[in-house]
Amino acid sequence: MTEMAAPIGVKAWMGISPAVVHIMWQREMLRFFRDRSQLWGGLSRTILWLVILGFGLGASLREIEGYTYGQYILPGVITLNVLYASLQCAISLVWDREVGLLREVMVSPAPMLSVTLGKLLGGASIAVVQGTIPLLFLPGIYVAIDPVAIIEAWVVMFFMGILMTAVGVIIATRLKTYEGFGAIANGVIQPLYFLSGSIFPLRGVIGGVGFIQIPDALRDELRRLGIFAIGGGWVVQLPAWIQVLVYCNPVSYQLDLLRHVLLGFEQLPMAADLLVTFALPLVATVVAAFMMGRMLKSR
Amino acid sequence: MTPTTPSAAIEAIEIGRRYGNVVAAESVSFAVARGEFFALLGPNGAGKSTVMHILTTLVAPTSGQATVMGHDVVTEAKAVRRELGMVFQDPALDERLTAAENLEIHAVLYGIARRDRRQAVDEALTWASLTEVGKRRVRAFSGGMKRRLELARAIMHKPRVLFLDEPTLGLDPQGRRNLWERIGALRENGMTVLMTTHYMPEAEACDRVGIIDKGKLVAIGPPAELVAKHATTPGATLEDVFIRMTGHALRTESATAREMTVSFGKRGGEHTR
Repeated sequence: MTEMAAPIGVKAWMGISPAVVHIMWQREMLRFFRDRSQLWGGLSRTILWLVILGFGLGASLREIEGYTYGQYILPGVITLNVLYASLQCAISLVWDREVGLLREVMVSPAPMLSVTLGKLLGGASIAVVQGTIPLLFLPGIYVAIDPVAIIEAWVVMFFMGILMTAVGVIIATRLKTYEGFGAIANGVIQPLYFLSGSIFPLRGVIGGVGFIQIPDALRDELRRLGIFAIGGGWVVQLPAWIQVLVYCNPVSYQLDLLRHVLLGFEQLPMAADLLVTFALPLVATVVAAFMMGRMLKSR
Repeated sequence: MTPTTPSAAIEAIEIGRRYGNVVAAESVSFAVARGEFFALLGPNGAGKSTVMHILTTLVAPTSGQATVMGHDVVTEAKAVRRELGMVFQDPALDERLTAAENLEIHAVLYGIARRDRRQAVDEALTWASLTEVGKRRVRAFSGGMKRRLELARAIMHKPRVLFLDEPTLGLDPQGRRNLWERIGALRENGMTVLMTTHYMPEAEACDRVGIIDKGKLVAIGPPAELVAKHATTPGATLEDVFIRMTGHALRTESATAREMTVSFGKRGGEHTR
């Protein structure tokens, strides 16, 4: 090759090189948008859970705390998409390490912390895109579109994405081969999803079929007055052991915040929601970066 | 421990690596001079890749020490990484990205300034004769094209030492010859090259060869000298010497994580390529 300024080495401060973070983030985005199957996956999950289950089960369970079943599970479906997007992005690390670009990255002088940050930001950005798909169905489930609520929801999705990508990266650094992916999908995503208060409430008033049907405008009006359950129903409460699992699941708090932002309904203490949503991802990021560095040395 | 030779590009002093009870490499010592073309020869599972990975800072040695351009591979890993270019045994490319995008990632990872990046990418594509397909995704590339791309990428940041782990593996004779000519051109420009190979003609073309077996270096020297010294029959070749020193037995080794991942992908179980 002809004359060119010699490389000056990666500019980094405390292991953070903006250029490296950016290119690794960009790589994740390019990979995602070139693989349509992931977008279709997000769409089909939304249709299955929000439309089919939402309207199907919603026909029997008329309302939960004054919300239709479709409305109630909307934040859950967003969460499901975020979980899939982040974990899929993170687990691809195993493939990447054995037969992909990651070896090239590991042998380069680029700081591993920046590589990890790029990966996490990429996973979180994909999670926001995937989590936005259910939002497109808002008019279909009679939820008014509020721009502020949507922006707040994106922020929550982003931090949820950081946390779950970091968790996935930590798992991926421990996985020897890719064959464990199926176990991750079923053994991690689904328990986190089912035990997050996504599809059933911790406790609440649930209305059955046959109770009075009221117009949506009136429902909104009553909600503003603090009246949630109309006509009648049952007070339900989850068995204690499931409650314990839900309380232990960090996704529960992030989902609760998401539901608060989108519907104005929450079941868990707001302080816990905020702490778990914004502080835990930072801790997980540090652990993920540490594990990435260790994976390199222990091979 | 012997003091390091300042003129050496690569120096390994009694390096070894164990994984639990398994010894992958043991007391391997050799030095590669600046501008030298050195080949590590050995049966499958002999420890060639382990030595290569120790020298490229991917694996820490459990014993001994090694330097690349005077930098210790453990304590000065970052300085070592700046000095070396690496081509892995099988492609380390992102197949969903284009050739140019793969090269751009490399430029950023090695800190090539933003204003020089485009030019560096274009030059690398030209060097690899891939300018026409620079905007095509690597997934559609043949094995030979991927190799050329990887070789161009490995020298993009102007390293002084090049590590090639079986660079011509899986190429057809045309592809192999083409790649070999490119490697030869680098050699003429004074690049230090350490490669592993199974192909005797390639090893014979090197300045010196090290034969490695069961984790140990069993012979080292210029190919002609090795033949002269260890041949038992007249007209013996380097291959005869190699077989004589490492035995006729076929090597069985269990699949590595990489091989398992590849075969998993081939079965269609892979979601992310």
